[in-house]
Amino acid sequence: MIDQFAVFTPAGNLLYGYNSLNKKFSETQINRFVSEFISQPVKDVTSKFPIISTSDTSYMYHETKQPHLFLVVSFASSESIQLTAEAESVVVLATKLWESLGLNEVILDNISGKGKKNVHNFRFITEGASDQISKFGSYFEVKYDEMKKTSQQKGKKHTANYNKQVPVSAANKGKQSSKGKKENSQIKARKWGRDGLLEETAAMDESLDFSEGNRTASPPIAIGSDLESDMRNGSQFGKQNDKGEFLINEIDELLASNKEKSKAKPTTSSPFSFLQKHILGNKTISEEDLKTVLDSLKQKLISKNVAPEVADHLCNQVSKDLIGSKTENWTSVDQTARESLQKCLSSILTPSVSVDLLHEIQKRINKKDSSGLNDPYVFSVVGVNGVGKSTNLSKLAFWLLKNNLKVLIVACDTFRSGAVEQLRVHVENLAQLTDHNHVRGTKNRRGKTGNEYVELFEGGYGGSNLVTKIAKQAIKYAKTEHFDVVLMDTAGRRHNDATLMSPLKSFAEQANPDKIIMVGEALVGTDSVQQAHNFNQAFGKERNLDFFIISKCDTVGELLGTMVNMVYATSIPILFIGVGQTYTDLRTLSVEWAVNSLLS
Amino acid sequence: MLSTPILLACIIVMISAAFVLIVQKTSANVIPGASKYTNRAPTFIIAGLPQTGKTALFNLLTTDSVKPSVMSQEPNVAEDYMLPTSHKNFKFKLIDFPGHDKFRSELLQTIKDSSQLKGLIYVIDSTINPKELVSTAELLYEILSVTELRPDGVDILLACNKSESFVARPPSKIKGALEKEITEIMKRKAKSLKANSKKSLSDDANDDDDDEVAVLQQNSAGFEFDRIDGNVDAKEGSVLKNDIDKWECWIDERAMN
Ligand SMILES: Nc1nc2c(ncn2[C@@H]2O[C@H](COP(=O)(O)OP(=O)(O)OP(=O)(O)O)[C@@H](O)[C@H]2O)c(=O)[nH]1
Ligand SMILES: Nc1nc2c(ncn2[C@@H]2O[C@H](COP(=O)(O)OP(=O)(O)OP(=O)(O)O)[C@@H](O)[C@H]2O)c(=O)[nH]1
Ligand SMILES: [Mg+2]
Ligand SMILES: [Mg+2]
Repeated sequence: MIDQFAVFTPAGNLLYGYNSLNKKFSETQINRFVSEFISQPVKDVTSKFPIISTSDTSYMYHETKQPHLFLVVSFASSESIQLTAEAESVVVLATKLWESLGLNEVILDNISGKGKKNVHNFRFITEGASDQISKFGSYFEVKYDEMKKTSQQKGKKHTANYNKQVPVSAANKGKQSSKGKKENSQIKARKWGRDGLLEETAAMDESLDFSEGNRTASPPIAIGSDLESDMRNGSQFGKQNDKGEFLINEIDELLASNKEKSKAKPTTSSPFSFLQKHILGNKTISEEDLKTVLDSLKQKLISKNVAPEVADHLCNQVSKDLIGSKTENWTSVDQTARESLQKCLSSILTPSVSVDLLHEIQKRINKKDSSGLNDPYVFSVVGVNGVGKSTNLSKLAFWLLKNNLKVLIVACDTFRSGAVEQLRVHVENLAQLTDHNHVRGTKNRRGKTGNEYVELFEGGYGGSNLVTKIAKQAIKYAKTEHFDVVLMDTAGRRHNDATLMSPLKSFAEQANPDKIIMVGEALVGTDSVQQAHNFNQAFGKERNLDFFIISKCDTVGELLGTMVNMVYATSIPILFIGVGQTYTDLRTLSVEWAVNSLLS
Repeated sequence: MLSTPILLACIIVMISAAFVLIVQKTSANVIPGASKYTNRAPTFIIAGLPQTGKTALFNLLTTDSVKPSVMSQEPNVAEDYMLPTSHKNFKFKLIDFPGHDKFRSELLQTIKDSSQLKGLIYVIDSTINPKELVSTAELLYEILSVTELRPDGVDILLACNKSESFVARPPSKIKGALEKEITEIMKRKAKSLKANSKKSLSDDANDDDDDEVAVLQQNSAGFEFDRIDGNVDAKEGSVLKNDIDKWECWIDERAMN
């Protein structure tokens, strides 16, 4: 059984809400969907309608364009094929009902400013449609109850058939028994996978059409319960619905008549539409209109280093966004597509949560334990060889030092020869920058490289066991010696080398850094999708990357595709970008700048 | 073979293209800074964190009834909104902006793009613990760094919503707590990394950002709303209980002039 069903506008007006357990409709659940929908730039579409899943709930949704509405079904989990199919038929049913009742026309009229305005010179989106909406509600409930009954019936038969290995139980006669056989073959098909799933959904669609056969097959109990729900909605329908069947007939007639209507819609192609497309605007966009402009936009993206699959996805988003919608007055289709792409890009690149690192670090420092010590805030950087991990780690250290934080730099790259020495040079530089009196090569009062504010923690060279050992020791050391921040450099590794990638998981579990940063270089191009994806997966199910630093942005001009690729592959935000080789060359990302560069 | 309709269409295309170009050129010349503002109507903007009651307030203002709502992904706009109370003929644009982080830059852009911003209604959930007002203060700080760039700033109403709840805090407390938080934020912001310049990467100093920080620079005692250009008032109300008279008065006062 589904959980909830809702129809709402992108602006946030809930037009209809249904809770299958007759509990109070929970807006909070739908809010969770919206928030996921906004944050996930990547939407997988494997079923007929796209699904977004959170830890405990799946949401199947359908976006209509004219008017722009969301129809959302929430249910327990998308793992169950049966539930997914049920959700799908709920969406189909609701869409058909909504159209048949003429609600779209009313809403479009209200939006376009037809009709009388109220004292505030305003007209609400569903003004004058309250009858239709309550009709929609009661029709939907009746039909959904019926759907539940039939699917329960089916389910029972299924299990019975399964357990007893008897194809048709004796109770089923005539038409019903032939139906039973048909279903039985579907169960088998379903077990075999994808095709089965498709077949079954097709069958569900049929049941919505209410062909003669289906109606006689619906069991008598269903009529009883329909009566009940009619009583509940009785006030609107009066006595005319003495029999539950009557209402169902009414709904079916409505749905059938709508089918003819929608078939009759002509597709016009005239000189006027040419004008509309290029100058006048106010044109309903079709797939052909978009084809050429999307092709050229795709080429542009690819020329900026955006991976072809990502460019494809972006263009699909644009066409999904635009097909069926109308262009503004005096706006060409090309321009509209460009704007939509621009919106799409900036929504991908804009982080969905704002991070204030200094604030988080400060909070950590203020949390003292009984002996007045605080845990340090731990960062670790990971990435492919030579992308700039050590350099950008040092830039990060420089910025933290400028903010009066004490920084411990940990040499967890125990693999590449010279890695520790390289960090020592960085620490010496940073020590000199924070304290002009620092003499290179001298040890601080603890006998380590560095000074009071920045210090190197090293443990020589060795295997991955040594890495976790150093990491844990360093954190302990940082705590007792009052360091605020720990920065761990790690060895560069190829993302497709399992023997090098697998130690990352235990490293993340043992050292448990507060933030894992992946450094990616802007130069890399198409491979970045795979790099980001593999690194994000490397920490297991429980842990993700926290953000990216994209280095060497100064070397690529406008070819910033890598940024889009990496965020696309992981939905993880870019926090900083590296724009040179000195310590001050670290910036936060200006999304506006990035999008303009990509589209210029 | 070219059919007449197509020929005709081509001619119309050329004429109207020329027309559009001319109109664009002249309007840019006649009105100085025409490209700067895209919204010239007198405007009130409703902003705030998610789930504070912005859409609920918008609906109450426009339809006099509370309507069910879910998280917004798009602004709600009433083009020629009228307050029925005093000034019958004064119309303005009312925009309810979604609160989710993803739309923050759009909000700031809209503020920048509106030439006649009469006021900004900053909706706050007054049931939150004042100690957890950090994100409320952050958004307000970002808004102020844009509005305070104007000569007289923009008037802001701290609409402390959900006042019917028994855990709601009084507006004066909230205002004070926000001042404290903004002081902290300004300290942190002064130390944060700058965004890379929109113009070129090699450009080290970022003028825009420096401006924004400088505009809100105050004495060492900490940030105070009284010292900035725009007036900031905190008033309680409850959309749920249809108790927003104080806010309506506030709007009314600014709508007049
Ligand atoms: N132009 C430019 N060069 C950079 C940037 N970041 C890093 N580099 C250069 O990239 C080179 C490699 O940097 P490292 O920090 O050693 O790279 P790494 O990822 O630590 O390398 P391994 O430890 O060997 O995997 C150095 O020459 C850096 O100066 C940047 O933002 N811009
Ligand atoms: N207790 C109480 N709840 C309220 C009040 N006003 C609004 N709410 C509730 O707050 C929730 C959020 O309201 P919305 O208006 O949708 O929130 P919003 O600010 O538009 O949120 P976004 O669109 O996500 O930015 C709804 O569940 C409202 O019922 C109020 O005065 N008191
Ligand atoms: Mg290195
Ligand atoms: Mg809203």
